[in-house]
Amino acid sequence: MTTFDSLLHGFSVAMQLDNVWYAFLGCVVGTLVGVLPGIGPLSGISILLPVTYGLNATQAVIMLAGIYYGSQYGGSTTSILMRIPGEASSVMTCIDGYAMAQRGRAGAALCIAAVGSWIAGTFGVVVLTVVAPPLATLALRFGPPEYTSLLVLGLIFLAYMSSTSLVRTLLMAALGLMFGMIGIDNMTGHFRYSFDLNELGDGIGIVPVAVGLFGLGEILSTPSINVTGEVIAPKFRDLLPSRKEWREAAMPIARGSLLGFIVGIIPGSAHVISSFLSYALEKKVSRHPEQFGKGAVAGVAGPESANNAASTGAFVPMLALGIPTSPITAVLIGALMIHGVSVGPGLVNDHPDVFWGFVASMYVGNLMLLALNLPLVSVFVTVLRIPYAYLYPLIIMFCILGVYAVNNSIVDVWIMLIMGMLGYILRKFEFDPAPLVLGLVISPIFEQSLRQSLIMSNGYWTIFFQRPIAAGLLAVSAALLCLSALSFVMKRKDWRDTLAQVEAGEEKAS
Amino acid sequence: MNIRADHVAGAGFIAFGLLVIALSGDLPFGNLSMPGAGFLPILVSILLIAFGVILVARARESQPFGNIRWDDAKHAGLVIVITGVSIALYERLGFIITMMMMMIGLLVIIERRNVVRALIYSAGVCLVTYIAFEYVLSTPLAESPFGF
Repeated sequence: MTTFDSLLHGFSVAMQLDNVWYAFLGCVVGTLVGVLPGIGPLSGISILLPVTYGLNATQAVIMLAGIYYGSQYGGSTTSILMRIPGEASSVMTCIDGYAMAQRGRAGAALCIAAVGSWIAGTFGVVVLTVVAPPLATLALRFGPPEYTSLLVLGLIFLAYMSSTSLVRTLLMAALGLMFGMIGIDNMTGHFRYSFDLNELGDGIGIVPVAVGLFGLGEILSTPSINVTGEVIAPKFRDLLPSRKEWREAAMPIARGSLLGFIVGIIPGSAHVISSFLSYALEKKVSRHPEQFGKGAVAGVAGPESANNAASTGAFVPMLALGIPTSPITAVLIGALMIHGVSVGPGLVNDHPDVFWGFVASMYVGNLMLLALNLPLVSVFVTVLRIPYAYLYPLIIMFCILGVYAVNNSIVDVWIMLIMGMLGYILRKFEFDPAPLVLGLVISPIFEQSLRQSLIMSNGYWTIFFQRPIAAGLLAVSAALLCLSALSFVMKRKDWRDTLAQVEAGEEKAS
Repeated sequence: MNIRADHVAGAGFIAFGLLVIALSGDLPFGNLSMPGAGFLPILVSILLIAFGVILVARARESQPFGNIRWDDAKHAGLVIVITGVSIALYERLGFIITMMMMMIGLLVIIERRNVVRALIYSAGVCLVTYIAFEYVLSTPLAESPFGF
């Protein structure tokens, strides 16, 4: 069966009425999640995870992925109309998107963001269709040493790309790894740090940790008096950009799509980083860099395209290797595992309906989002007018409801509350909690592959250097560490420092 | 000495790493050819301590501890207390009663909103959510002793 035949089969799955419905539902909820400040795609997906229990694996992953890429579309709305990033990856859009809105071009900015997102999302899915199956075949040659090296590379890459320091990111990842070791040791059956609580025997779940750190943690550090409700409402007839604006947007969309997809494949908070890199690239190649910050079309088109392409790119390692490169793909893997589908190189052959149905649904979903986002922008603006004081109790209710429903366990809800407090404190000390969740997610795979590698080699660490793929991955990790050390020694400011400054600036603005 | 934010954070991570090592006493470490259940936890604890030490050593780059703004702490504390009480009651009183009480608490105590409005909003939201989850999405929620 060729890739094209498989894709056609995928469309036959994705176009079934119930699957179209779940893709639509995911896209609508995702857009809302993106629009609403204080609730990101990770908490949105986690909260709605229990809702998918009654669905089959294909429907579940179609809906949850729709929430993910839908949130990338929705995040631009608050950035452009309120200068509040509804979603972390929309931070860069705030700068020029809001400036365009102040000049009376809010509609054009929204339209460019939506069309750019659609083109980038569709481009990402096309490349995913071509790249993922051969990569999965290659991954079948991966053994424990290769997986260990790949996960080490993932953590180091995340730390290297992070806007906070290398040490802070690795600290968070190490803390996540530690949390991931709570519960029964799969290889020996020992109980670790479970303090005689049966519920902790299975370990700490991703959902309570993610919802606590990102959902509740955000609410704790956001008193309602700090949230402004001012929205610039665009008129429907102003939605179409002018010919000049289209011309200015074309190349940034193309560059953002390519750049975003490549960054998306790499582990880490790819959609955030990709939008920043795209903004920096557009400013560098622009003939009028002085317009950036004052409403440059490229400053909206590039980052918005990049974050959508990145969110699709992140599905490549997830589907082909079974490795979560971000907390969001980790939750999606968890959702598939709940439905008895093990994600990894075997997914394409073992569950073609799930794999190709999911890929095809993204073509459909991206089209839906384009159709949804423009005509319904006034509806989403209405949602933004709900006072935050009424909104956050609702979000807390959904946090409790969502976390409890995963295992019907009140211990999970307590863990969520504790993680919320931890998230609040971490923010005070300027730690990014995302690597913690990534560490938690990869902890079991990392520990198992590390120990299996050592058992295979009879205790010789050199096994990681004797196998070419593992050695290559570790060499890249070492190079990244050297680069990071070099910039520290030379005290050189690079794009990560600039990203940190921009993020800090936007936080103050919001 | 002027205490910096990273002095406190680094010390916290060092203490946590030491605590984990202390708690790992009964876990077998094993050896390189057969790593035990305590192998990776100990390694990661050592990493935590090492990173904590680096954080303390480079603490001059961070802001003074006294500059950290805690003006949202009252809001955070009240949200934690109200949410905590609700979690404690969740399985006893069920979804509708507990969540209504929590939302009214958050709206009236923290946000100083009108009690009647808060009551109507909370009751409406909780009932709609209950119906959506119980009947439309077939996801059972915690029930009260009164059967709903």
